[in-house]
Amino acid sequence: MKKRHEQKLVVLALALFLIFNIPFILVFNVEGAVLGIPVLYFSIFSIWLLSIVISYIVLKRHYE
Amino acid sequence: MNNYSLITIIIIYLAVLFYLAFLAEKKRQSKWVNNPYVYTLSLAVYCSAWTYYGSVGIAANSGINFLSIYLGPVIAAPLWIVVLRKIIRISKQHKISSIADFISLRYGNSRFLGALVTIVCLFGTLPYISLQLKAVSETFEIMSDDTSYVSTTVMDDSTFYVALLLAIFATFFGTQHADASEKHKGIIATVAFESVLKLVFFLAIGVYVTFYLFDGTTDIYNQISKAENFKQLTTLDGVEDGFNWFFLIGLSFMAIFLLPRQFQVSVLENNREKHLKKAIWLFPLYLLLFNMFVIFIAWAGKITFGSTENAEYYSLLLPLEHGNSFLATLVFLGGFSAVISMVIVSTLALSTMVSNNLIIPYGFLDKFIKNQPERNSKYIKNIRRISIFTIIISAYFFYVLFSKELSLYSIGLISFVIISQLAPSFFIGLYWNRGSSRAAIIGILIGFFITIYTLVLPFTLQAYTGTDNFTQFGLFGISVLKPYALFGIHFLSPPAHAFFWSMTFNIMAYLVFSLTSKGNYRERNYAEMFVDSKNFTTLQDNALVWKGEAHVIDIKNVLIRFLGEQRATRALKIFFTKYKLPQDTQLADARLINFSEKLLTGSIGSASAKILIASVVKEEQVSLVEVLKILEESKENIVSNKALLDKSNELSQLSSKLKDVNEELRSKDKQKDEFLDTVAHELKTPVTGIRAATELLMDEEDDMPPEIKTQFLKNILQDSDRLGRLIHNILDFEKFETGRLHLDLHYQDLQKTIVKAINSIAQVAAKKEVQIINKNVHSFKATYDEDRILQVLTNLLSNAIKFCNEKVGVIIVDFKLGNGHVEISVTDNGKGIPTEDHDFIFDKFYQSQHQNTLKPQGSGLGLAITKQIVEKHEGKIWAKKDVKKGAILVFTIPFK
Repeated sequence: MKKRHEQKLVVLALALFLIFNIPFILVFNVEGAVLGIPVLYFSIFSIWLLSIVISYIVLKRHYE
Repeated sequence: MNNYSLITIIIIYLAVLFYLAFLAEKKRQSKWVNNPYVYTLSLAVYCSAWTYYGSVGIAANSGINFLSIYLGPVIAAPLWIVVLRKIIRISKQHKISSIADFISLRYGNSRFLGALVTIVCLFGTLPYISLQLKAVSETFEIMSDDTSYVSTTVMDDSTFYVALLLAIFATFFGTQHADASEKHKGIIATVAFESVLKLVFFLAIGVYVTFYLFDGTTDIYNQISKAENFKQLTTLDGVEDGFNWFFLIGLSFMAIFLLPRQFQVSVLENNREKHLKKAIWLFPLYLLLFNMFVIFIAWAGKITFGSTENAEYYSLLLPLEHGNSFLATLVFLGGFSAVISMVIVSTLALSTMVSNNLIIPYGFLDKFIKNQPERNSKYIKNIRRISIFTIIISAYFFYVLFSKELSLYSIGLISFVIISQLAPSFFIGLYWNRGSSRAAIIGILIGFFITIYTLVLPFTLQAYTGTDNFTQFGLFGISVLKPYALFGIHFLSPPAHAFFWSMTFNIMAYLVFSLTSKGNYRERNYAEMFVDSKNFTTLQDNALVWKGEAHVIDIKNVLIRFLGEQRATRALKIFFTKYKLPQDTQLADARLINFSEKLLTGSIGSASAKILIASVVKEEQVSLVEVLKILEESKENIVSNKALLDKSNELSQLSSKLKDVNEELRSKDKQKDEFLDTVAHELKTPVTGIRAATELLMDEEDDMPPEIKTQFLKNILQDSDRLGRLIHNILDFEKFETGRLHLDLHYQDLQKTIVKAINSIAQVAAKKEVQIINKNVHSFKATYDEDRILQVLTNLLSNAIKFCNEKVGVIIVDFKLGNGHVEISVTDNGKGIPTEDHDFIFDKFYQSQHQNTLKPQGSGLGLAITKQIVEKHEGKIWAKKDVKKGAILVFTIPFK
């Protein structure tokens, strides 16, 4: 795997670290629910799933 | 369900696991055991009983905090491609068999550091194992309908027997080889199997509760939203709670690398590096699936039972409450699976550490040197077996003494905080070559004691004295020293608080002492090997700097003690062959020292390996400066080797180019010969014709009819014309070649010249019924030699006619204006120019290989002359490439 593609994953980790922590996480810290799932949980789960999809695509395309 | 049927189920389940492990060990090479899915599932040993039962408890009592334990690994997973891969490579290269080995090797085979890491891991893991036993015991109690059943003595307690069974399992499959860096395929296969079971059963109970007992997620949400502490359950309570959350994520981020069981499965049991490709995205997905239904089970339990006293076991209590004991049994088995895999992998990892980093280096080495090889390997295995039993039994007694008062969650977090003390020396040491062993030891010790003071001591004292004076008023009543609010930081939860203080002091101590004390040369050597692992992998055994006197025979004797005569001899033979040394080498060098240390590391740990080898050789002290210089030199050697290789590649490329040029020259030479042949032939044909006709005329002067005579004379005239033309062509060409041509330049109309050219060739075209179209009828004036450009146009047109098919042929002459030049094109719809001929058609003598006539048409000079004329006008000529049908020849003439 080329350095550039490895760095994509490193940046992904960095982005996750920022978005899952204060002060960023407080953006989703509101009451209410989507499909019966509280907003905070729903946002965390969605970001989580998104990160899985991104790593999957990066690895699928560039892992040698 | 009564006790006996429950015990029967447990025993059957364990038997299945034994069988599975046995099968996997037997078919070690099968792809069922070696694939990325098994690897990923084995990583899921992270989800222990704490995940299975504990998460629900936290979700019901305090809210979202259970998620932070999984978000750390989710953040860490993409980093694995860089960090974990590096760790795996280093571990494989050095035959590392535990995290204690890894850290002690990084700091120069430090024996004390290895032991310290082992002790930290023991303190961190024993409560964790006892937590698992607690879960077994409590779920067992819930499942068995004999509610009055209370264990009074150890011998009565079924958990004790479960613990023993697990110890037997771990002993059986964990200590098959004396070399602990060997893979434990049987155990890994069962762990993967159990990971599937626990996930499936947990999802099953989630779906059952959410969609069968309740009417989907919205229903549960609507009912729970009436609860009084509902806001606390679904949101973070401001910035202070956010800090707790932040520290817990940091904690779990470290744990996924550092927990002995995670290190065991992710690094030591990794078969192929490429398995990471799947694990990086599949493992977070596993965790996501595991966490999806947690809140709904928790809230459903809260709605159903009202109180949250037994919240941790809602997933069992809910189906039991609704009389579904089958589903409850499945859930119980899922939880039991989580327990088994965690306990077995943890004890396996710990027992290796205890034997290789604690017991062997601190007591058994002398004994080993005197012993026979077979007995040594037996001793090592026995030490590990005893360790496994001791660890599990100690965990059981810890459970009996303490766990009953603590929740799964708090024990789990205490373990995490203790283990995380290894983080600075582990992570920073991986990327910073100055980190020294003394600094690592001081950092870990300080961090460890702060954790004991702020986290372990309070609950231990409370359990013993029954009062919480210590927590309330601090040590000796000094309020600054309150264990849960050290120096007045009171807003963090106890684990986050302990993590914050211990990590701060740990990191600072590590950094400061690394900079103030210079490590010894061995330490720096390994530091370089770890930090710059990519370059040092290529150095292989050369990476160790060593100076002194050693005899191969002494080293061989040590190796024989642990590997046996046969394996030691074979290893040495491989070594000598690899480095092209004679088999009877007497003196050992640095490479052999490094090689033998690595061989021994798997069996007795890196620290002991160093001590053992050092005991039979006379090592001289090497200064730090010298170490760095030697390493630099060997690295440079590799670089210069690489440069040499590049150079030789370059040379071979050059020689292949030369070969091509030579080939071209040969073909040019051949073309010239052919041309001379053609010219001679061409010249000869008309001469022969003229000669024959003349002879006939002379012989039969009288009786030849006058019309035939005229015909012969006509032939003679034609042939001489042809001869003249040919000679003219050759002379013309000669003129161009030697540069003696002068252009007669005039400012004139290009359009008129084109019309002239078309008219002059119209006869030939009409004969073949080919149509010539003059597309651009506008006049345009440029400076050129009209006769020469006419020659060019006529040549291109006659070529086009020649390659056009009869009747359907169409030729288009066109011109366009470009930047400072006019571009004239001749397009035909004939058979086109073969791609391989494109680059050569303007070469003199070149005639296409594809002309289907045996005798080439024309002299092979036409286009070459054309090119010379155009270039003399400072224009360009080329044939357009990638034309679908026919050919397009284009030339340019500049204008001002």
